[in-house]
Amino acid sequence: MSSTEPVVKQVQIGGLVVLKLIKHCEEDSGGPELVQGVLLGLVVGETLEITNCFPFPRTTENSDFDEVQYNEYQMDMMRSLRHVNIDHLHVGWYQSSNHGNFVNRAFLDSQFLYQSSIEESVVLIYDPLKTAQGCLSLKAYRLTPKMMSMYDSKHFTLETIKAEGLSFNDMYEEVPINIKNSPLSNMLLLKLKKENPVPEKVEYLNLSHSSSLERQLRLMMSSVDELTQESGKFVQYQRSAAKQHQSKLLYQQKRTVENAARAQRGEPPLPEEDFNKILRPIQQPARIDALLAAGQVSAYCDKVSSFSTQSLGRIFMAQAMDNKD
Amino acid sequence: MYRNYLTYLTMSKFYAAESSSDTDETSSDDDVPVTSTRSKAISQKRFLLSEDEEETTHVVLSAKEKCWEGLKDIIKLMQNVKKIRDMSKLLDEFENITKFYNKSKAVILKEGIPRFYIKILVETEDYVNELWQDKEARKKMSKPNSKAHGTLRQKIRKYLRDFEKEVTDYRENPDVDEKEQAVPESLPSPDKSDKAKMFLDKPLKPANIPMAANDDDDDDDDDDWPSDTSESSDESDEGGIGGRQLTADYFLKKTVKDDADEKSKRKDRGKEPRDTKKKKEEDNEEWEQVRGFGKAKVTLFEKDTEITHEVVMNKLNEITINRGRRSTIRKDQVELLKQLRQVAEDNKLGIAMTIRLTFDLIAGLFDYNSKILDCMKPEPWNDVLGYVEEVIDLLLDNPDIVVAEHIAVESENVSDKEAGFRISGSPVTLVEKLHSEYIKILQHSDAHSTEYVKHLREEVNVVNVIKKLKKYVEYIGSSQNICNAYILLIEYVYYKYDHKAIVKGKAAASEDKGNEVDEEVEDPSTMMKQFCQYIYAKDSTDRIRTRAILHHIYHHSLHDRWYEARDLMLMSHLQEMIDLADIPTRIIYNRTMVQLGLCAFRRGLMKEAHHALVDIQSTGRAKELLAQGLLLQRQGERITPEQEKVEKRRQIPFHMHINLELLECVYLVSAMLLEIPYIAAHEFDARRRMISKQFHHQLRVSERQSLLGPPENMREHVVAAAKALKMGDCETCLKFIINDKMNNKVWNLFSNSNAVRSMLEMKIREESLCTYLFTYSQFYDNISLNWLSSMFGLDRPACHQIVSKLIINEELAASWDEPSSSLVLHRTEPTRLQNMAMQLSEKVSTLVEINERILEAKVGGGGFQSYRQDSNYQGNRTNFQSNRSGGQGYQGRSGNSNYQNNRSGAGYQSGRGYQGNQSGRGYQGNQSGRGYQGNQSGRGYQGNQSGRGFHGKQSGRGYQGNQSGRGFQGNRSGYHGGYLGGYHKQGR
Repeated sequence: MSSTEPVVKQVQIGGLVVLKLIKHCEEDSGGPELVQGVLLGLVVGETLEITNCFPFPRTTENSDFDEVQYNEYQMDMMRSLRHVNIDHLHVGWYQSSNHGNFVNRAFLDSQFLYQSSIEESVVLIYDPLKTAQGCLSLKAYRLTPKMMSMYDSKHFTLETIKAEGLSFNDMYEEVPINIKNSPLSNMLLLKLKKENPVPEKVEYLNLSHSSSLERQLRLMMSSVDELTQESGKFVQYQRSAAKQHQSKLLYQQKRTVENAARAQRGEPPLPEEDFNKILRPIQQPARIDALLAAGQVSAYCDKVSSFSTQSLGRIFMAQAMDNKD
Repeated sequence: MYRNYLTYLTMSKFYAAESSSDTDETSSDDDVPVTSTRSKAISQKRFLLSEDEEETTHVVLSAKEKCWEGLKDIIKLMQNVKKIRDMSKLLDEFENITKFYNKSKAVILKEGIPRFYIKILVETEDYVNELWQDKEARKKMSKPNSKAHGTLRQKIRKYLRDFEKEVTDYRENPDVDEKEQAVPESLPSPDKSDKAKMFLDKPLKPANIPMAANDDDDDDDDDDWPSDTSESSDESDEGGIGGRQLTADYFLKKTVKDDADEKSKRKDRGKEPRDTKKKKEEDNEEWEQVRGFGKAKVTLFEKDTEITHEVVMNKLNEITINRGRRSTIRKDQVELLKQLRQVAEDNKLGIAMTIRLTFDLIAGLFDYNSKILDCMKPEPWNDVLGYVEEVIDLLLDNPDIVVAEHIAVESENVSDKEAGFRISGSPVTLVEKLHSEYIKILQHSDAHSTEYVKHLREEVNVVNVIKKLKKYVEYIGSSQNICNAYILLIEYVYYKYDHKAIVKGKAAASEDKGNEVDEEVEDPSTMMKQFCQYIYAKDSTDRIRTRAILHHIYHHSLHDRWYEARDLMLMSHLQEMIDLADIPTRIIYNRTMVQLGLCAFRRGLMKEAHHALVDIQSTGRAKELLAQGLLLQRQGERITPEQEKVEKRRQIPFHMHINLELLECVYLVSAMLLEIPYIAAHEFDARRRMISKQFHHQLRVSERQSLLGPPENMREHVVAAAKALKMGDCETCLKFIINDKMNNKVWNLFSNSNAVRSMLEMKIREESLCTYLFTYSQFYDNISLNWLSSMFGLDRPACHQIVSKLIINEELAASWDEPSSSLVLHRTEPTRLQNMAMQLSEKVSTLVEINERILEAKVGGGGFQSYRQDSNYQGNRTNFQSNRSGGQGYQGRSGNSNYQNNRSGAGYQSGRGYQGNQSGRGYQGNQSGRGYQGNQSGRGYQGNQSGRGFHGKQSGRGYQGNQSGRGFQGNRSGYHGGYLGGYHKQGR
């Protein structure tokens, strides 16, 4: 695992991939579960070109679709694609997420796996709800080298986090996306537009904020709860650690006094026992959860703030128009 | 007194005899393995049985015997030790005996200091003093021994000072005791020898007779041995009676009885031939002995002996000595006692004698069952009932007879009329035992059989007996006895619903006391009142008083006297003390609480009903708590058989059960009527508390169902009704709660079901109105009163009243527009989004608080925590911050003041933002009436801010959000606490 700067500076996605991805998400995301799929493509210079994708089959709880079958399915799929001479290099995965609630342990785990085996791989996060409101929401992310190395160590203690200088907003980074259509499809689009023009529909001032804002707030609340819980755990840990420290000091003091007494009497000093044997060190809570929760909250905050900025802009515009009347 | 001593001696002999016969048998039985194993098994069985006996038989009566025996054991040891001059041992034993004496002081006080005790003390003193004088012997003693000797001498002298009178008494005429002592050894009188013989013989018999009760099947054996029986009985006549004269009139007079006895004897003997078939020779002796005993039974008295009190008493003593012994066959004892009683009656020995004998007879009958778990057979029980009734009748007729427990057996007087009859015994105890046996019989019979009904019919007789007892104790007894009798009677009355009284009460009310209703004593309510009040005043044991109170409350609540019941419950402070009570009392308490809850429900007091029932229902173990059935599993674990046994004994008889489905339904309905409007009113309250966990559980269960069919059982009905109520749909809700199914299952179980139904209907209409207003008020500008009243089927005044109450309690922001008689709703409730923002800000503030704590631990240490407890924490905190780091502190404070300015200055940063659009200035103005809401709006805004602050990682701003949140929080928690306290108080 090299901790050098990643080569890939931007992601270029084919229009077809985006459409396929959207189609998969829209068709499959009937339930609350997320849909996932594999991205295929290749690295060209500093650009990661994603030229194809295929979905993971949806798993229900009672289907016996296990890990092995998953892998088989992937391999089969890629083999078949190679047969038809399509790019078959695995370059990442995609996932749908409502309002960006993707920052969790599972996400981290799979992305770590991807990135440790395929360094260039990214994850595409597609937000169907946001897209339904009119603007495509597609983001590419990857874990930062810091995060990678920390995750590699499998120790999520305060020390490792401190050593890496990791904070919740540099766990992962966004990679700029560039959607590119082939000239042929561009031509097709132009032709289509000409043949049946899109009806003019102005929805600039639509303020439909409350429902989605509500949802976002609810999500945010749950993450804040989580974060609070994590902090609570940490406080508890801190307290018990302090207590243990205290008793340790006390013990050591007693031991030194005793040893001094023994020395005076000419007896051999008591051996310095391993303190850890007497009082088991308290397990530090894994900070990764707190980090994740914080990251999630921050992501939500970004969303809400961007969302409200848009809404505010619309309000001002509406006000201005109102005044004009 | 000597009787006991005799017992003691015979006991040891008995062991000797038994063991010898055992060996006899085994040695001679080599060729007959079957019989030998059998006899072994039998003896083993007897041992087991006797162990049971020791555990379960009535101990009270043998307390004295036990104590005496214990003393005598030690005395014997002392005498042995004396013989070997072991002074230290003697000292030990002396200490033992004094200790034992102190321990059994209660018995001794009652019975008087036993003479043998004094005797041993005097003897020991003499002995010690003698030794003391004997200087040479003293020199010979070992060192510890002589030391012990000295201490013993001093101790004994000191100890005897307490018994001065008795000691001098004894020293004056020690011969009395000597004589008594001599009795068992020399066996002078023929009567005594007979007795001794009987004891000698007796043990042998049961060795050969396994179960007197079930040897009917052995009757056929008799055919094999007909000649033998007659022959041997002849034999035994001679052997048993010995030199006595056999007069003809003896046989004539007693033939009937003889026959009866012969029968039982034959039965008893049925077993013997089997065992002895193969070893007649050796066993000839045994045969005779057994016969001898049998004869002793038949010839209770020699015929020409004059049947006097003394003789009968002696006989009685003989019989009762064997009580509780492992060798005794209870059936025989009962038979013997019956005969004795007959004899006494025939000879006109006086009522006192009859009573005395009946007491023993009853005791014998009660003893019939050795195990506490088993109930008596109905027949013996009926006998007992008859006897008890007879005794009490006799006692009632002869008030000059003193019957009391404290009268020692020795000081009884059944013969001398002039001196006043004195009999040891307690009719109250007898009736109590009778009662508990009755309950046991009920517990053991199947509640759904006709047998149970048959048993139930006996209740009248029991109550009659108790009433007679009551009359008797009222006439003669101590107040405690009266209390005992009353509580017995109460136990038969309290759970019965008195239809007559209700009808009568109605009649009295309607006729406005024109003709006075006969206030019979039989009226249960007055009876309850009278008895309970007596018990409250006179009872000295907490137990009876507690029970009386509980029964009284139960009775009150059964008859819908809610306020009396509640007041009594509150005044008695039972809720605080019930945890200390024994389990049966707690069961009664549970039953009472349930009944109280049902009463409150019938009165339409939903909150009270819920509070009373929540404890029983929330555990899900109502069945067990009310002792109406066994739960074989407790927390996933099967209960042990012992536990099961214990629980079985606590079960309440079926006819006293409280219907569990009714209980649950009442609980759920009351919970529904409380919970649904509460949910509607506090939809966005983050701190909303569940009123009833169980109800929520039911709701959740139904929500989890993928397909909801029409409701089937009671629970589903209630849940469906709750859902309808949630929508404010009162008609549907009513349909679910009150329909034929529910009527049959639940509501008809109430005695005044129609009243309950109409009450329920009213309640549901009211609550659905409230719920509707809470839920949908935001969509209305105004609502006409007419429309409301027609929608919920309430008349206008009632509607007006309910809504006004909501307005006054500030639960609904609205006002009446009187001219148009419509309700004008004020758009005050924050929108969903605002509510969410508030919640979020609260959450964020707690988060920040926790984060600060993490920081404090690093920076401040313990000092901060002490600050936190101060009430002016806020001020301190800013100080602390500025102390901590100047720059930051300053920032924090300035942030704070900024915030303040913002707020006070029209609160209007938000005026520009979209938030302003939402809340508006008018909104603020409206709110200012209630500071609480104003605060909220501020908070909402601030919360948003803090969210962003957090994002921007500006500690100053985050801190600001925290501040505002906190201020509010304090406010709220105060409110919360107050509410909680009040809530709980009411719950009590």
